[in-house]
Amino acid sequence: MSFLQIEKLDAFYGKALALSGVELSVEEGEIVAIVGPNGAGKSTLLDSILGLTTTNGDICLDGNSLIGTGSAAIVKCGVGYAPERCNLFPYMTVRENLLVGAFTSRENIDSNLELVFKLFPQLREREHQETSTQSGGERQMVSIGRALMTSPRLLLVDEPTIGLAPKICLEIAEVLRRLCKQFGTTIVITEQNTNFAMTLAERLYVLETGEIKASGTVDEMRNDARLTEAYFGT
Amino acid sequence: MAQIIIQGLLLSGLYALIAMGFTLIFSVGRVLNLAYGSYLMIGGYVYFYLTQLLGVPKIVGILMATVAGCVVGLLIYRLLVKQLKGDHVAIEISTLILAVVLQAGIVLLFGDSSKILLPIVPGVIHVGGATVTFSILAATIISWVILIGIYIFIRKTHTGRAMQAVSMDAKGAAISGIDSDRINMITWGISGTLGAVAGVFFASYTQLSPSMWVAPLIIAIAVVIVGGIGSIIGTLVVAHIIGFMEILTTAILAPEMRGVFTMLLIIGVLVIRPRGLFGREEL
Repeated sequence: MSFLQIEKLDAFYGKALALSGVELSVEEGEIVAIVGPNGAGKSTLLDSILGLTTTNGDICLDGNSLIGTGSAAIVKCGVGYAPERCNLFPYMTVRENLLVGAFTSRENIDSNLELVFKLFPQLREREHQETSTQSGGERQMVSIGRALMTSPRLLLVDEPTIGLAPKICLEIAEVLRRLCKQFGTTIVITEQNTNFAMTLAERLYVLETGEIKASGTVDEMRNDARLTEAYFGT
Repeated sequence: MAQIIIQGLLLSGLYALIAMGFTLIFSVGRVLNLAYGSYLMIGGYVYFYLTQLLGVPKIVGILMATVAGCVVGLLIYRLLVKQLKGDHVAIEISTLILAVVLQAGIVLLFGDSSKILLPIVPGVIHVGGATVTFSILAATIISWVILIGIYIFIRKTHTGRAMQAVSMDAKGAAISGIDSDRINMITWGISGTLGAVAGVFFASYTQLSPSMWVAPLIIAIAVVIVGGIGSIIGTLVVAHIIGFMEILTTAILAPEMRGVFTMLLIIGVLVIRPRGLFGREEL
């Protein structure tokens, strides 16, 4: 069984079916990207791993089912999440936002804070700034930083590049790569920007209208003419 | 003049305490707990029953009043608010009805005549031409100690920060591993505790009566609306504006008019600046 194993997952928002029959597996220490157009269900998939939607099917982390345990327990289990809209606490400072992230992992606060500031040095300079006054790039960094404060074994990052300048996208990609290589963190990202996803991830899943349409390593996907045409442009 | 300033400060400290418990629930759960005034009534009556009818020491009376307030707060959350699953209108209507029912309960147990509480600390002190009872002075000092304690709790502890987090972004809180149900429960418990202790002081300031929940509820609503959501400083400042306004009205116009301006202030702010003087824009 894989580190993260998703089987026959249907997810609902209210009564609307947002995901149907999703099968996905992620091995420990790899970076996997879920690509697909807007509205494909990428955020729903990550929300479902955190227990934020109604689901059928199973989601297992390291052999333990996450279904029905509640978000708090799932975070405690080692799942960190940086959602697309960041969902930061706007009137708290950067530091306070990070400290909230440590709610379930209090024994590691100092080392995790140090890690976040090492990965994103500019957050250390802005430590006492309210996040409502920050740029999109900085918010994304706080969001990933807050997820790291939970001491995650699995880090989920939803559309890390959306609306950001290319330079900041590269910076964030570098941080994610470092996290995976140096600290062995398993990472799942979602992306509309397939090129970015291909430079970062080892394997890809293509999600469209709530279903997995294709999957494989980056090389396999690149060489599949049909996929290249359909999803990655020319 | 000195009289007005001193009385204004004393009354405002108490008003800040009254409003704090109400503000917390409104900030964290975005819901107006219209049964909040009942916490003050229950606190006052529990204290009265234990100290004046049973002769229990006053400090024990205050402690038991806070326990009662906390328990009632927790029960209202568990049995009512949680069942209504975030339907704000339903919660507000049912908490208002509950307040009326609790008032009837108090009438049944203690009769509907008002009662005078003996001073918590007997004696008076003369400050700058003003006469201040030790009871009221003690009430104000304790109110401030509690307010500062709450401020530190909210800003510096994990649970306090979690309360702020839930109030600012529910999803952000959930993905940080915060169980918002638990945080709401804690908030309702703290709110009940604060309301009950405020009730003991409020009853010694005025008197104990089954309808004593109405005036503090209006003060609390006024402070939240005028101060704005989620601002502790706003709560303190507006409590002082209202406190001084009432003292001035009583001194210059007539005691009967004291609540009127508070209510006019609520309407004025709702029309002119709906997010309150210190409220932050919703994101």
